[in-house]
Amino acid sequence: MSNTSHEVAQGPHHNSGAASTALSAHSIDKKFPGVLANDSVDFDVRAGEVHTLLGENGAGKSTLAAVLCGLYQPDAGYLMRNGKRISLSSPRAGLQHGIAMVHQHFRLVERFTVSENVILGSRDLPFRLNRRELNEKVAAVAESYGLPIDPDATVGDLSVGQRQRVEIVKALYQGAEILLLDEPTAVLVPSEVEKLFENVHAMTAAGKSIVFISHKLGEVVEISDRVTVLRNGRVTGHVPGRGTADTKELARLMVGRDIELNAQRATHATGHEVLQIRNLSLSVNDVSVLTDISFNVHAGEMVGIAGVAGNGQRELADTIAGLISPTSGSVTISGSMTTDRGPVQAREVGLAYVPEDRLGMGLVPSMSILDNLLLTRDRQVVVDRISVRPEAARLIEQFEIKANGPDHLARKLSGGNAQKGLLARELSGGRGATKLLVVCSPTRGLDVGAIETVRRLLNDARSSGQAILLISEDLDEVLSLSDRVLVLYRGAVVHETAGETAQLSQVGAAMAGLSGGGR
Amino acid sequence: MLRIPFRVVFEQRGETARRLSLLVPLASVLAALFFGALFLLATGYSPIDTYINMFRDGFASFNGITDTLALSTVLICTGISAAFAFQMNLYNIGGEGQLYLGLIGGAWAGIALGDHLPTLLMVPVVLLCGAFAGAAWIFVPAFVRSRLGTSEIVSTLLLTYIGASLIKHVIYTPGSFFRNPNTSFPQGRLVADSASLDSFGSSRLYPTFFVALVIAGALYWVVKRTEFGYRINVIADSPKAAYYAGIHANRTTMWVMLISGALSGLAGAMLIVGPYGKIEPSIITLGYGYAGIVVAALARNNLGLIIVSGILFSGLKVGGNNLQVTTDTPIHIGVMLQGAILLFALGGEAFRRYHIHVVRVHDVSTKKVAA
Ligand SMILES: Nc1ncnc2c1ncn2[C@@H]1O[C@H](COP(=O)(O)OP(=O)(O)O)[C@@H](O)[C@H]1O
Ligand SMILES: [Mg+2]
Repeated sequence: MSNTSHEVAQGPHHNSGAASTALSAHSIDKKFPGVLANDSVDFDVRAGEVHTLLGENGAGKSTLAAVLCGLYQPDAGYLMRNGKRISLSSPRAGLQHGIAMVHQHFRLVERFTVSENVILGSRDLPFRLNRRELNEKVAAVAESYGLPIDPDATVGDLSVGQRQRVEIVKALYQGAEILLLDEPTAVLVPSEVEKLFENVHAMTAAGKSIVFISHKLGEVVEISDRVTVLRNGRVTGHVPGRGTADTKELARLMVGRDIELNAQRATHATGHEVLQIRNLSLSVNDVSVLTDISFNVHAGEMVGIAGVAGNGQRELADTIAGLISPTSGSVTISGSMTTDRGPVQAREVGLAYVPEDRLGMGLVPSMSILDNLLLTRDRQVVVDRISVRPEAARLIEQFEIKANGPDHLARKLSGGNAQKGLLARELSGGRGATKLLVVCSPTRGLDVGAIETVRRLLNDARSSGQAILLISEDLDEVLSLSDRVLVLYRGAVVHETAGETAQLSQVGAAMAGLSGGGR
Repeated sequence: MLRIPFRVVFEQRGETARRLSLLVPLASVLAALFFGALFLLATGYSPIDTYINMFRDGFASFNGITDTLALSTVLICTGISAAFAFQMNLYNIGGEGQLYLGLIGGAWAGIALGDHLPTLLMVPVVLLCGAFAGAAWIFVPAFVRSRLGTSEIVSTLLLTYIGASLIKHVIYTPGSFFRNPNTSFPQGRLVADSASLDSFGSSRLYPTFFVALVIAGALYWVVKRTEFGYRINVIADSPKAAYYAGIHANRTTMWVMLISGALSGLAGAMLIVGPYGKIEPSIITLGYGYAGIVVAALARNNLGLIIVSGILFSGLKVGGNNLQVTTDTPIHIGVMLQGAILLFALGGEAFRRYHIHVVRVHDVSTKKVAA
C-alpha cells in the first residue's frame, strides 16, 4: 500500500468524532426476488468524514447506497438527515437533501460536453444557456476540489478516470453534501487512485461526507475514518479506519472465515511453445485496436496480461480464439496456424477459451449444464444427450459445482459455480485435448471461496502442462499467478517482466501509459 | 399539485411458480367470461344461455367440433409458423401474406399439373408448392434480415399488402390463369379433381388436420432434439454465445424465416386441397395468418402447446360465429367475447411474470427543503 496520502489525511478528521451525523439509515431491509439484499442494516455518516462500506460482491453495498440516495425505496427501515426523518421517493428527492451517488457504471451522455452532462437533469435552466458562464461555474466548482477538467471536452473523448471526475463534479455542482462513491477505484490505475484519494480529502476538508464503497482491503484501510462491513446483506462489523484497522480482521468480517488468497506460483519446468503470436495488429473501423503484438506461451507456463479495461484485452483474446480475424499478423496454436480459421478450427488444435462475459457468452443462460457442455463440442444431426450425461455428472462432481445435476440451468448457478462450470467444460477438452487455455478476468465478481478454487484450478492446469494466457484487470491476480507479465496499453505490449520480480509500481506505471516502451 | 397517494409496483417474479402457470390462464378465462357477461346483461341477453350455446356450437356438437378442428387445421399451421420464428426473436408477422401466396402456389400446381398426376402424388405436390411459394414470399425479408439486420417486422407486414393485391389481381383480371373462365362473375378456377381431398363424412373436416398435427409434432422434436434446434436455442438466448461457439447466426436466421414462411404457405395450400379447391378472394378478409400470431402468443410460442391453443381459439371463433345462426345474438357479441377472452388471457401474463402490489406513497421530498 502506498503511504503517499497520509500527510493529506490530517485536518478535519480529528474532530470528526464531534461532528454531527449527517445522514443515517436505520434497520434498512431491501428485498429482491430470492435475495434479501439488505437485512436490517444500520449505517451513518458524519460531516467531514469518509465512512467506508466494505463487502464482497453481492454483499449489498450498491443496494444500500441506492437506498441512501433515493434510487430504491427500502422495504423496511428509514433514513434520517441531520436528525430529521426523511423519505426519498427518487434520486431527485435525494439531491434536494444534498445526497448524490456516483454509480459503479457511469451515467453520462458520451456525445455531450462535460458542462452539458453536469447540468443534465437540472430543472430550472434558462431557455437559452449562457455557455461561457456555465463553463466558468463548472470549472470553478471543479477546481475548488482539485478536480481539473475541461468543461468543453466531449465526454466520449475522456478517459475512464476523467469521466469519474465529471460524475463527481456533477454531484458537487448540484450541491451534494453527501457523496456516495460506488467502487470508484475499480476502474482506475494506481496513479489515478492516488489522485482520487486527494480529491476525497479535499472534499472532506470542505465538510462534505463521503460514503466510500469498496471490496479492496488495502485502500479501505488507507482512506477510511470508519468502516462498516457487510456480508450477505447484513452488517458484520463496525471498525475504526485509518491506521488502526487490521486487514486480517476486516477480511474475516467480510468473508466469515480466514482465507489464503495468495495462491502459490507453482514451480515447474516449461516446455515447448504452444501459442505463438507474431506481429498481430487489428484495426476496427480504421481505429487501431491492437498494434504489432508478438509473444509466446509455453506448455506449463502462465503468461499474464495486465492492463486497464479497454486497452485491447478482449480483442486480443477474441483474436486468439479465432473469433476475430486480425488485420495483419498470425496466431499459431500447437504448430497450426489458426489465423482466419474460425473458433471451431482453433478448438480442434487445442484452444480453450473462458471469456470475461461468462453467462451470456461462455454459457447460454437458459440452457442446462448438459446442453452447455455441448456448446463447444461436436454435435450430431440429432443431438446425443444421453451419452454426454454421465460426463456432465462427473464434471459437476469433480469441479465441485453446486447444482442439482446435469439439467440444472446455467442462469440458476451462482457466479462462482457458473465459472467453475465454464472452466470444467473448457479444461475437459471438447473437439481436441486442451493445450492452450485463454482466460479473461476469471475471478471477477466471484466470492472469495470461489476465487480460491478458480485460482487453484488454473494452477493445476498449468502443472499438468497446459499453456495458460491469463488476461485480467486485477493486477494483484496477474502478479501473483503469472510466470511472465505483459502490460497492454492502447493495444500494444508496453512492458514485459518476470512474474516473481515484477514491481507493482513499474507495472502500474506501464498500465497508465507512463513507461518508456511503446508503440 | 394533485398527488395520488398510491403507486402500483411491478416486481418481477424470480421464478414463476408452477401453480401460477395453470392458475393464471384459468382465472383469465373466468375473468373474461365475467366481463363478457356484463356486456351481455347490459344488452339484454342471458349470459348463461349464450355461453352454453357458444360451447355447444364450438365443441360439444358434431358440426361444432368438426368445424372447429377444420378451422384449427389452418390456424395450427399459421400458429407454428409464427411461433417457430418468434422463439428465435424473429417477428414474422407477415404469415397472412405468405398464406395468400400458398393459396396461389397451391392453386397453380393443382391446375397446371392436376391432369398429369394421381391424387396420391398430387396432394403432396400441391402442399409443397404452397409451402415453397410461402417461403419465396419471405425470402427477401429473410435475406435482408440475416445479412443487414433490416427489421423483418416491417418488411413481412408490407409484403402482406402486396400479397393481398396479388390475390385480387389474379382473380379480378379477365383472362387470368387462376380465374374461372366459364363464369363472367370473378371466381377462382377449380383445381383438378386429383388435387382435391374428400372431407370426412358429412363434416367439413379434411385429412389435412392430421398433417398439421404431424408437422407440429415434428417441429417440436426438431427444436428439442436436433442440432438445428440446438442452434436455434443458442442464438435465441444469446447471440454472443453463438458467436463464441462458431455458430453462424446468419444462416440459421435465414432457414428459420424460410421455414416459417413455408408453414404459412402450407396453410394456404391446405385450403386448396381441402375446403376451397380454388383461390377464394374472400381469404383476404379472414385474417387466418394474423390469427396465427394470436395462437402463438396464447401458447407462449411453445410448439407443443400450439395444437391446444389452435383448437381452443378455433372453437371460440366457430362458437362465437354460430351464435348468430343458432340464436338471435348478433355476431358482434360473439366477436366481442372472443376479443375479451384473448385480451384477458394475454393480459394475465402480467400476473404470471410480475408480482403486482400497491404501495402507499408518503412523499416528504415534495415539501421543499428550505433548510
Ligand atoms: N435490481 C436488482 N434485482 C434483483 N436482484 C438484485 C438487484 N440489485 C441487486 N440484486 C441482488 O442483491 C444482492 C446485493 O447486490 P449489490 O447490492 O449489487 O451488491 P454489491 O454492490 O455489494 O456487490 C445480490 O445478490 C444481487 O444479485
Ligand atoms: Mg456493487
